[in-house]
Parts: sequence; structure tokens; C-alpha cells
Amino acid sequence: MNLVRDVLDKLVVDRNGREMGRVDAIVLELRENRPPIVRALEIGPAVLAARLHPALGRLAATVEEVAGLSEGRPVHLPMTKVLTVSDRVTVDVAIGETGAANVEQRLRRLVRGVSWK
Amino acid sequence: MKKIANVILGVITSIGGFAEVGSVSTAAQAGAGFGFELLWAIALAALILAMLVEMSGRLSAVSGRTFAAAIRDRFGAHFQLTLLGAELLLDFLLLTAELGGAAIALQLITGNDFRWWIVPVGAVACAILWLGNFAVIEDGLGIFGLVTLVFVVAAWQLNPPASQIKMGMVPSIADHDLARYSFLMVSIVGATVSPYLLNFYGSGAVEEKWSEKDLWSNRVTAFVGISFGAVVSMGTLVTAALVLGPRHIQVDSYEQAALMFLPVFSHRAVLFFACALGIGCLGAAVEIALNAGYVFAQGFGWPWGANKKRADTARFTVAMTGMLGASLLFALCGFDPLRLTLISVGITVIVMPIMVLPMLVLMNDDLLVKTHRSGPIGNILLAVLTIVGALLALVVVPLEILGGS
Repeated sequence: MNLVRDVLDKLVVDRNGREMGRVDAIVLELRENRPPIVRALEIGPAVLAARLHPALGRLAATVEEVAGLSEGRPVHLPMTKVLTVSDRVTVDVAIGETGAANVEQRLRRLVRGVSWK
Repeated sequence: MKKIANVILGVITSIGGFAEVGSVSTAAQAGAGFGFELLWAIALAALILAMLVEMSGRLSAVSGRTFAAAIRDRFGAHFQLTLLGAELLLDFLLLTAELGGAAIALQLITGNDFRWWIVPVGAVACAILWLGNFAVIEDGLGIFGLVTLVFVVAAWQLNPPASQIKMGMVPSIADHDLARYSFLMVSIVGATVSPYLLNFYGSGAVEEKWSEKDLWSNRVTAFVGISFGAVVSMGTLVTAALVLGPRHIQVDSYEQAALMFLPVFSHRAVLFFACALGIGCLGAAVEIALNAGYVFAQGFGWPWGANKKRADTARFTVAMTGMLGASLLFALCGFDPLRLTLISVGITVIVMPIMVLPMLVLMNDDLLVKTHRSGPIGNILLAVLTIVGALLALVVVPLEILGGS
């Protein structure tokens, strides 16, 4: 498997097929005299922004903190939770158990307030 | 039978959805300034659009992924964010121009300044976005958009000389005012090949659950629908050429453009022009705002879909509403919608190569389109379009300065 081609930036869905976001970062553990090992996948604007520039990552993390959305973010998905990797990455968690749903849930309350659809 | 009905509906909505602020204004200016000479530019732009839209539909039908999603999958976050920024800037300007165009239409009918109509137009667009499903938005607005066929009726009634139309379909170089001619040629391409259409069409294919079985209907809808849609733009150009050109009326405002209907529709001319412009612009405004939601949600992996409950796709809903709100605020500043249109079509031309080049790669990726890769002709045409698009991108700003006023 080519990590950058096959995993990074791919859509992540939970065990119920609900979109959680995209693989914004891959966490590797560097080991002495042994190849690195993939420990986790991460989702969240702060890690995505950090790929562009570390300062942007810090800015995005600060914005999340100020907005009260930082709990459980960035979403850290250990590789033991990864079920399949194909055109999307399926993980053995429910989105509601993670911080991936923070923004969606906050905005859902706002949208419900003005829409019946 | 249902499939055939869907294809017919797709063709009808393509016709009804073709005319909007950019295509009407550039075709009217071209006709008023250069007679039939730029008909070929509309035909060429429609061919380019049909080709790109067909590819976008094929990509979605085979891979289940839209253009925006495939860009992130295939090219990564850096390129996706660059393209996202460019597309959102364009969508923002174009949406502002469409809101302004619809407001101008109401100004033509009521006499009240167009700024008074921007908020009501925005409210109607917002209501359609929040209450309509994809069929209502795409098919409903497309069917209403058939009112734009009034441009074709006007051209037909004026009995244009067939020989001159035939000559206009052959690429030519103007014998006067070459800078303006070149600017209008580039603007027609920019106004017709709007980047939002690529992702919007592909998103519709996913919304309607197209599969490989729908590839033939995709092809028919793209090529036949857009070809007939281009006839609306050609009708605008021909009408302007026959009415405005001989009277040396330059289209510096939509009020002047409305004069093109006077000989055919007399006292109803302004009403008919306003209805066609207003409905065309409103439809485009809703589609552009919806597409902003699509590109955000698909690029970042959020739940999306106009057929889902808005509360179940909260970030998608807020993204499209936010884009509409931002454009509405900008439109309230009172910028001339015609000027804004010409600026946005210029930027479209600059952005086009970075939209087209990835399409060339995606349509040759076995993992995405399996056995439905583009053939040599499609690849050559896309490669040529990328190179020509890059050259046009280099000259569009000088042309806008020299020939845009």
C-alpha cells in the first residue's frame, strides 16, 4: 500500500457508513533500526492546515479552541480501528463517539431552528 | 421509458439553464458590436462545455465521486485547496453578478432601483435552496428557464439572413476594433464554460444515483442539451446584431440590451427581456450557491446532498447559505452587475487551465473511470484546450483593459 496515494486525503466513513471527514494526517512511529510503523490516522482542520504551514495549523487549533470545538480534535483514529482501505477508509467507530461530529452537531442545532426539511 | 423521459427532461433543463447573466451580456455585446461574426465563438464554447460536462458526468457515474472529491483523492490537499480557493472566488463573483442580474430584471419591470431588489432576490434563492430537493432545483428552475427561448423567438421573427449566419459560424478575424473583438471572443468562452457547471453536473449525477448504465443518457444530455442551450445564446447574439448593431447601440447596460426586443415584442419588449434575464439569473444563482456547498462538503468529506434533510447535512447547508449571504452583501454595495460579469468571466478564463488539466488526468485513471477512459480524440482535445486555455489566460487581462470598456 502506498500511504500517500491510497490513504492520505481519502474519505473516512464510520462503521455505519457516515462521512467523518478525510484523512488529513498520518501518524508514523519512527523506530530505531526498524521501519516506521503507521500508528494512526487524523482528521481535523488543524492538522490539515498544519500541512500547508505550521502557523496555519496553530491558527486553526486556536480558532477551534476559542469556538469551544476543540474537545476530541483532531480526531485520532488508531490503526487498530481501521477496517478497510479502498476508495474510502472505513473505521470501526461511530462518528458520534468522536470529535468529528462537533461542528456538524453545533450547526445542526442552528439549522434545525430555521428549517423543517 | 422512464430513462428516455429522464433524458428528455435533462435536455430540457440544459436548454432552460443555459442562459444567465454572463451568456446574455456577452452575446448581446458581441451581436451589437460585431454582427454575426462571433457566432462561432458560442458554438466553440458550447462544444468545450459539453465535452467537459460529459466527462464530469462520466466520472461521477462510474466512480460515484464528483470532480471536487476526485481532485482531493487524486491530487491531495494542496492542489484541492488551491482549486477550491479559485473556484470559490469565481463562484462568489458570479453569484453576485447573477443576483445583480435578477435584481436588474426586477428594476426593468418595476422602475425601482435594482439595489432594492437584491435582498428579495436573495431571499427567494435562499428559500429554494432550503426547501427544494435536487429535482426541484435542477428540473424546476430548468423548466422555468425555458422562458429564455424568447431570445430564439425574437431572432426567428427578425428573419435573419441564413448566409450571414453560416458565415458567422466560421472563425474569422474582425476588420475593426480587434482588441474588443478578441476580448468578447474570450469572454464568450469564459461566460459559457463556467467551472461551477462541471462539479454541479457531476454532483447531480451522484444525487440521482447514476451508474455505468446511465453513460449514454449522460452523453445525450451533455451534447444535445448544451447544443440546444447554445441556440439561446446564438438567438441573443442574432437579435442584438439585427436590432442594436445597425442603430450603433453598444450594450453598456442591461437597459440597453432590453432594447433588442423592441421591434419584435413592441410594448412587451422590456417585460419579456426582464423575465428571461431574471429567471435565467435566479436559476444560475441557486445552482452556484448549491455548488459552493458541494465543493466544500465533497472536498472536506462532510455529509452532503440536496435530497437529504438540511439538518442532516448542516455544514453543507451552512456553506451554501454562507456563500449566498456573502454574495448578497457584496451585491448590496451596488457594483454594476454587467461590469462584475465581465470581470468574473475574465477570471474564469484564467482559472480554466487548472480546471481542465486535472480532468485530463482523472479521465485516464483506471481506478476512477475503469474501462471508460477518454479516447485519443478526447485526450487530444483536452490537451489542446489546456494549452489554448493557458494562452488565453495570459492575454485575458490585457484584453480586458484594451477591449473591455
